[in-house]
Amino acid sequence: MSRLPITEEQARDAVQEVLDHPGADGVEVMVAASDSGVTRFAGSEIIQNTAQNQIEAYVRVVADNRVAIAKTNQLDRDHLATAAGHALLAAKASPPDGEFPGLPQPEEVGRATGVLRWDEATAGASPAVRAKAVSEILGATRAGSAAGVYETSAHVFGIFSSTGIDCFDAYTRCVNTCLVEIDGATGWSERSSHRMDQVDVASAATAAADKAARSRGAVVGEPGSYEVVLEPPAVAMLIDFLSYMGFGAKQVIEGESFLSTRAGKNVAAPGVTIADDVFDELSVGIGFDMEGVPKQRVEVISEGRAEQPVSDLRTARKLGTPPTGHYSGSNEFGPYAFNLVVAPGGSSLQELISGISQGLLITRFHYVNILDRPATSLTGMTRDGTFRITNGEIGEAVTNFRFAQSVLDALASVDGVGSELAAFAPEYGSFGSTVAPALRLRDFNLASTTSH
Amino acid sequence: MKDLVIAALDAAVASGATYADVRSVETTTEALAVRGPQVEAVDRSDTAGLGVRVLLDGAWGYAASAKLDRESVKAMASTAVEVARASATARSTPVELVPEPPHVDSWSAPIETDPFSVSAEDKIALLTGATEQMERVAGIRLARGTMDLLRQTVWFASSEGSVIDQSTFQVGAGIEAISVSEGEVQQRSYPGSFRGHFETGGYEIIERMDLAAHAQAIAEQAVALVAAPPCPNEITTLVLDGHQVMLQVHESVGHPTELDRVLGMEAAYAGTSFVAIPDAGKFRYGSDLVNITSDATVPGGLGTFGYDDEGVAAQCVDLIKNGILVGFQTSRETAAAAGAERSNGTMRAEGWENFPLIRMTNVNLLPGEGTLEDLLADVDRGVYMETNKSWSIDDKRKNFQFGCEIAWEIKNGRLGRILKDPRYTGITPEFWASCDAIAGPEEWQVYGTPNCGKGQPGQTMRVGHGTSPARFRNVHLGTSQ
Repeated sequence: MSRLPITEEQARDAVQEVLDHPGADGVEVMVAASDSGVTRFAGSEIIQNTAQNQIEAYVRVVADNRVAIAKTNQLDRDHLATAAGHALLAAKASPPDGEFPGLPQPEEVGRATGVLRWDEATAGASPAVRAKAVSEILGATRAGSAAGVYETSAHVFGIFSSTGIDCFDAYTRCVNTCLVEIDGATGWSERSSHRMDQVDVASAATAAADKAARSRGAVVGEPGSYEVVLEPPAVAMLIDFLSYMGFGAKQVIEGESFLSTRAGKNVAAPGVTIADDVFDELSVGIGFDMEGVPKQRVEVISEGRAEQPVSDLRTARKLGTPPTGHYSGSNEFGPYAFNLVVAPGGSSLQELISGISQGLLITRFHYVNILDRPATSLTGMTRDGTFRITNGEIGEAVTNFRFAQSVLDALASVDGVGSELAAFAPEYGSFGSTVAPALRLRDFNLASTTSH
Repeated sequence: MKDLVIAALDAAVASGATYADVRSVETTTEALAVRGPQVEAVDRSDTAGLGVRVLLDGAWGYAASAKLDRESVKAMASTAVEVARASATARSTPVELVPEPPHVDSWSAPIETDPFSVSAEDKIALLTGATEQMERVAGIRLARGTMDLLRQTVWFASSEGSVIDQSTFQVGAGIEAISVSEGEVQQRSYPGSFRGHFETGGYEIIERMDLAAHAQAIAEQAVALVAAPPCPNEITTLVLDGHQVMLQVHESVGHPTELDRVLGMEAAYAGTSFVAIPDAGKFRYGSDLVNITSDATVPGGLGTFGYDDEGVAAQCVDLIKNGILVGFQTSRETAAAAGAERSNGTMRAEGWENFPLIRMTNVNLLPGEGTLEDLLADVDRGVYMETNKSWSIDDKRKNFQFGCEIAWEIKNGRLGRILKDPRYTGITPEFWASCDAIAGPEEWQVYGTPNCGKGQPGQTMRVGHGTSPARFRNVHLGTSQ
């Protein structure tokens, strides 16, 4: 791993001194570093192209059971000491934190190891390599106008503390999104992996172009409840929001999660299992949370039954359960499931479609937002390829719908799960992944339509 | 920092860039969060870095790093040139920039009290003073308070001769009361949702909010919401408070008039627009009352500055005049496409890491006449909604749905009972065409939204909106139409 943004030794050496910061009862430093390149294209040419490297250190200081965090992006002794000083001052200004469980002790939480989703070629991809990939996309989409990104990046995380936490992990990431527009109609495809050789830009481009071509001449559909097949990008977005609305233990404790009232109950069809699982072969992430606690695979929904949330040390103590290794770095935000995996089923996409007599095939959603958190209700738009299904066959394109739908109600109506999984990078930031199959749902509420 | 900026600029030009600009950004932030008496966060961040943007062979390259020494910034300039060379291999139309005179200037936003000079104890006490008031109200499950402070210094230099330094302070604070009953959650916020009210300025802005004085009232409303009837699905007259009008302007006017969206540059992620360049000067966007500007000069806005992030001086321009679309938010690269000879100065980057994009500065709905009470008085039957809670709009910015925290029914010009879960939907030009009253200057306020997302890699921008309450006729309430 010669292309790490910073090596384990460099990270450990940089922070050793500040772990003994005078006046602090305990110090923890999380070091995050990245090298990334993002090439954006639109109108079938490169429009923006960036290369950046970053190093950040989050210094968490404990004093008299009071806690505060200060961040710096200069990894030298003086800046780290200044950050520790700021955190110490802020901690001392705070009232005692009666809920603080202390910094993790490795003998209690276990020693974390990395999952090392690392590919040297991806880490070393040059601007010319990225531009060549974009040229390949543009070559495969000459029938229309292409827009999207091709990104390669390398990331490392290290957690070091005065209590003996010492862990390091690294991952790479390659993401290609591709939207193709033909005569005002659009199609979409995306690929994501920790290895650039697993990101087939030509197939993504061709799929998006095919979908755009089929989307031409879309007719306005009728609002109503539909039997639908959601393709993996649409499923991934619903599951991301479901997690955001209620997979974290803090939300459960505060009564804002569906798990607060429905844990142990059937909330989805038996074919639905959703876990946070960084160890899945398609996941991209690290093997520990932001305080160095080893990550556990957590089934939040198991064969349709609501089980347990993901937790960190603080919330696990409140719940009386072992921590699952999901500290997000923010007590305000609470623990978070960064690596969602929806278990595959046994049906091909064509088999899912063939089981519908009158319904819709939905490619993906746009601008989804929460209507009601405990009810897991969302609204958003369909986008870039919505088609009628008639007698098990994909038919004419329809214009976009606005949906208004409880995710759990939708999952309760699942009667088919795709066998093929697709991996998705988060819409924002570079941490985490979502792995999802296609789903067939008996009821999905499409509340209104648009003219495009 | 100025020396490093100039060194990077010189290196970029020496490497063959036909145009280059360099931006250093030093940012300090503090974020405080309390839950009841419990402090959940007292986080501070100090960061600095530098970005080099170059044009070579008609294509852009950008490189950024926090390694702030001469050799590193020179290497950064070389990387930016390497990136631009790669871009040129898949670029058929050369980037051209409309002219902007060079500026050598220093700009800062005025403040009364440096928010970083106030002790953490005082800040925590201000928040917990308010959360204690909320927790005293029976039925309140959670009482939260947040405060966000920012200090930023930017140096900008370009190969055309601009050398500009700017510094600004921005602050925000808010409180939130949560009531939970049998799986139902209701919230009320003050002065706004999503971490409160934000402005450019000093700690005096937070003190003027007087959070504690409003705590009990919003807590009582949060409790009342649980027992309140739901807002009905119907077509009726809708009056919105300034906070919700802010987000309505943001989503349905601000974004669709960004010229990069209009030109398809954001098609794959944020989307495009339902309006096109030929629409300027003739497309009816709203009623005659609707006048909207892009104004980087208004005091207090989160989009207020001296110069944008490609060195264009701050301006106030019309986007909608008497209901007609008349302009777009532009950059030096895109302005010519709209027939403009000069950019109107809306290129902004989240930090040193990022390539600047067309971003809203302060997109303002200009005031009309009268007070909120005057708007309500002219409604026989309708609904008044306050404080944004959720939003969603399609990729062309035409079909939208918004939710607010609370509503009241309006009967015979007066507010009646509280209604919960109020939502409304609409089609952008139809909705703005239905606007028949906008409250006057006495109700007009500059709001800030610090979390506007756009671009890849994603950039979160702080933007402002001056608005006052407004009234709309025949609006679809509920989640469908």
